[in-house]
Amino acid sequence: MDIITILFYLVTSVIILSSVSLIIVNNTVHAALLLVLIFFNSAILWLMLKAEFLAIVLVLVYVGAVLVLFLFVIMLLDIPIKKNISQKLYLLFSVTISIIMFAELYMVIFYHDFVASVPTSVNSALEFNNTYEIGLSLFTNYIFSFEITAFILLVAIIAAIAINMTGRQRSLRQDPGKQILENKKSRLKIIKGEDL
Amino acid sequence: MITMSHYLVFSALLFCISVAGIFINRKNILLLLMSIELMLLAVNTNFIVFSHYSNDITGQVFVFFILAVAAAESAIGLAIIVSLFRIRNSLEINLINNLKG
Repeated sequence: MDIITILFYLVTSVIILSSVSLIIVNNTVHAALLLVLIFFNSAILWLMLKAEFLAIVLVLVYVGAVLVLFLFVIMLLDIPIKKNISQKLYLLFSVTISIIMFAELYMVIFYHDFVASVPTSVNSALEFNNTYEIGLSLFTNYIFSFEITAFILLVAIIAAIAINMTGRQRSLRQDPGKQILENKKSRLKIIKGEDL
Repeated sequence: MITMSHYLVFSALLFCISVAGIFINRKNILLLLMSIELMLLAVNTNFIVFSHYSNDITGQVFVFFILAVAAAESAIGLAIIVSLFRIRNSLEINLINNLKG
């Protein structure tokens, strides 16, 4: 067993164990931290596959931005910790479905016999630059897809703001415009004694 | 020697675990969103494995797009969850039946 094999089994077993504990854990904060562990180990796996740019993007974008966003939302919402797996029916159903899916995928993988395939040597050449190659492909063949991705991110920003921007007044803050417009007539109502 | 099948079996296993996670979680919609992120990670790993073993950079370009779309999706999803929590005061999936679907 060489070092790459040992590293592969270590990283994948950490990912599988922490993803199993992610779906059965009760505390959401623990789940988010387990997701951080999973993404970090996946970045190691991607580095082993010589995708350096995407590995560091995974750490920066996912661990740095998306999971911090998750943690922000978890801490903003003050979610009560409840027992997650309550119904046995759902547990049975989900385990059955995932075992069936895995069996099918396993059969597909070994039907096509990917075992024999080995990586060609161009990717491991010394002058090969992963980031350069991705950028070259991104800005020539996939330039329109790249523009659409930028548009999707813009739509996401607008949607995230628009969903949470309700018109209702939530706080009791002062509004100087309304204060100036108030006069004696609107604040004070004189009623006669016999009307009561 | 680690072959392509090792990586493919690993990512199939990760995908199936996250599918089970979507079915299991009935009390917390945030964990459901995390399971979706995990599924996307399995798919991305598959893309990178095929990109590496067929020596084609296109798979990695697609992973880049998927990462951008997934980030947008999780931002909108979390915004929906925040506004849902304001209305319902809970995140239980069983109780979300406003549309009577």
